Amino acid sequence: MDFARVWAYSDMIIEGLQVTMLASVIALLASLFFGTLVAVMRISPFKSLNWLGSAYVEFFRNIPLLLIILSVFFIFTPKGWIAGTIGLTIYTTAFIAEAIRAGIQSIPKGQMEAARSTGLTYGQAMILIILPQAIKVVIPPLGNQFLNLVKNSSLLAMVAGGDLMYQADLISSITFKTMDTYVFIAGFYLILTIPLSFLVKYLEKRFALSG
Amino acid sequence: MIVFNKVNKYFGDFHVLKDIDLTITKGEVVVVIGPSGSGKSTLLRCINHLETISDGSLTVNDIPVNDKKTDINKLRRNIGMVFQHFHLYPHKTVLENIILAPMKVLGKSEAEAKETAKKYLEKVGILEKADSYPSQLSGGQQQRVAIARGLAMSPEIMLFDEPTSALDPEMIGEVLDVMKTLAHEGMTMVVVTHEMGFAKEVADRIVFMDEGRVLEESKPSEFYENPREERAKLFLSRILNH
Ligand SMILES: Nc1ncnc2c1ncn2[C@@H]1O[C@H](COP(=O)(O)OP(=O)(O)OP(=O)(O)O)[C@@H](O)[C@H]1O
Ligand SMILES: [Mg+2]
Repeated sequence: MDFARVWAYSDMIIEGLQVTMLASVIALLASLFFGTLVAVMRISPFKSLNWLGSAYVEFFRNIPLLLIILSVFFIFTPKGWIAGTIGLTIYTTAFIAEAIRAGIQSIPKGQMEAARSTGLTYGQAMILIILPQAIKVVIPPLGNQFLNLVKNSSLLAMVAGGDLMYQADLISSITFKTMDTYVFIAGFYLILTIPLSFLVKYLEKRFALSG
Repeated sequence: MIVFNKVNKYFGDFHVLKDIDLTITKGEVVVVIGPSGSGKSTLLRCINHLETISDGSLTVNDIPVNDKKTDINKLRRNIGMVFQHFHLYPHKTVLENIILAPMKVLGKSEAEAKETAKKYLEKVGILEKADSYPSQLSGGQQQRVAIARGLAMSPEIMLFDEPTSALDPEMIGEVLDVMKTLAHEGMTMVVVTHEMGFAKEVADRIVFMDEGRVLEESKPSEFYENPREERAKLFLSRILNH
């Protein structure tokens, strides 16, 4: 393996790393937000919102991510990394919504009833009582989703997203060191994901401790 | 103050409440008893709209509970509820459990809400547990916190759904004592409980339910010594002999 030859293009690698990280973090925050929204829609007392939430989840969870990214790319924006990040968000939202819904539904019904019977609105009860408890249940599956997200971000390469995988493709086409390049780049993905794995484990422990 | 008029309630095809006529006046303490599945909890839960009635009318302070125009959150401020399994918020301390609704619903300041909360914690006898989490308390203590949480909204009505039946025997007394104090202070109370001592001491009326109907309403002394209905006699002999 001749990693020195690959590292000659370190500026491209660093740039790719930054794009991958940025796209992952943005997509994570956005899909956490939208995922919570969709989850709450799915369990809300309003039938039409239930339906809309379920339709969203079933649709986007069951089509390939690449298809979503390409659609955003061709329909909405020719900027690869933006299309990729939006696609990732749309896709991950469906999974995160499911994880959060399961978490919310694991909280005993009496919590909502107790909160509502003191005069809190549904929204207040959800935000102040249910979601803070659901978080603990949801941390492990969310962690997995984030790991998947980082790995899935490699599909940005398909729309010239400038991410780590895209740079790897470029470098390998310049150097013809295909194997060396991809093995080297795999190392960078691990540098991102392994600490993340540990972070998730740590959060799990911390939330388990706090009552 | 609470008026049921020909109230019926169905769960799907199942007829849980049948033609309920019941009036509870201000300051009254009403104990609801009856066999399991007779609809006691459902009756109670209709009063603060945790369940929706199917037909008939139900008013609290002349406000129809089931009217779309009724602001149900406003109505609920005035009705405290205590559950069999407490339902304290496990991620909040005792004090936080109590100040939450006064702050978020009544818009009280934190300082003001804390002061009121401490007053009620003192009343239920566990001020020293203010900063504990519910999981650190005994069942009896948790239920007393739940009562304080209800009282902190200064409701006119308190509903209790079998408040002592999840408790170890030695803790039942401490909870009943708090409830007796409330009753003596003139709180309007609807209590589902089989605690005869409590009923005899503070109830103004016993409502006996069976299969979704109110079969008998009478004074506790009459009810326990001389129930009119066969079913009530049978039921009493069962709870007394177990
Ligand atoms: N959400 C619901 N959906 C369907 N059936 C229900 C529901 N809640 C209660 N029931 C049924 O309605 C009947 C009355 O229930 P309820 O809880 O009011 O009885 P209860 O008198 O409080 O009984 P217990 O002493 O066991 O608490 C029961 O047969 C119960 O199975
Ligand atoms: Mg019941």
